[in-house]
Amino acid sequence: MFKIPKEREVPFGGIVPAPVGENRMMVTSNWRTYRPVIDHEKCNMCLNCFLYCPDACWHEDEAGEKMVWNADYCKGCLICVSECTTEALSPAHELDFEAGVVRLEKLF
Amino acid sequence: MAEVYEVTVWTRGVSMDKEGRDVVSALAKAADREGKFVQAFDNYEDLPDRVGVPVRKYARISDEEIVMRYNYENENPDVVVIVDAALVKGVNVLRGMKRGGVLVVNTNRSPEETLKFIPNKDTLGAIACVDADGIAGRATVDFSGTEGGVDASGLGAGIAAPLAGAVAKATGVVNLESLAAVVANREALKRGYEEVVVKTI
Repeated sequence: MFKIPKEREVPFGGIVPAPVGENRMMVTSNWRTYRPVIDHEKCNMCLNCFLYCPDACWHEDEAGEKMVWNADYCKGCLICVSECTTEALSPAHELDFEAGVVRLEKLF
Repeated sequence: MAEVYEVTVWTRGVSMDKEGRDVVSALAKAADREGKFVQAFDNYEDLPDRVGVPVRKYARISDEEIVMRYNYENENPDVVVIVDAALVKGVNVLRGMKRGGVLVVNTNRSPEETLKFIPNKDTLGAIACVDADGIAGRATVDFSGTEGGVDASGLGAGIAAPLAGAVAKATGVVNLESLAAVVANREALKRGYEEVVVKTI
């Protein structure tokens, strides 16, 4: 008889195993040409970046004192930069930084 | 089988898709005018319809008829062209490249600065950097010419023209005159040919 799969037995979107936290099989950091850089002095924790980020790449740190950026999944859409209320975020070219992008051998 | 000269172009989906396609089309059409056998294509394996995703475009140039059936990817490219410089950081763009191959990058940075991001640079014969963005302005965001439609904005109206000129200068696979006959922005093509910085490794 056909066995009905339980929760998390079905691949997420039918492609990759269901992610619990981050989906390591779909790292999208190499989509990015420009990255958002945060100036913690200007940031007033309005959480606009957290709310508007389509890829959930902005979150508060454990103490709730500053915003943390997830470099592995940010696609560089820069929506956070345009939505920032205090101009704490600014774009910077990816090649200005040594690291931050997961270098993939093959795309798929 | 005759030696096939393989060109792979790395570009970004949607935003620079036409530019990548124009580079391979311009090189193939120019070589065709010189009496070579050519192919220029992309494939759907790269899933190109998402903004910013790294995608590839291919060209093959040969003196004899190209017989590579059911192979829609250049396994061992001679030339790799990078339309957006940030791609050298995120993908192994030199995968499968023949020893002594040429890498052409669209950047205003120096070849030394660009090489820092390429750990496997030993396979490279030369690197060529050209500031195509500075020469031709912004990338043309245009869907005309896709899926067999008529290309209204013309071949190489944007940053593809200086990149094609840089490939001609760095490799000599096609000459500038035949490129100028097929590319729309001849001024940018000529400047790309003249301003490219080639560094032999």
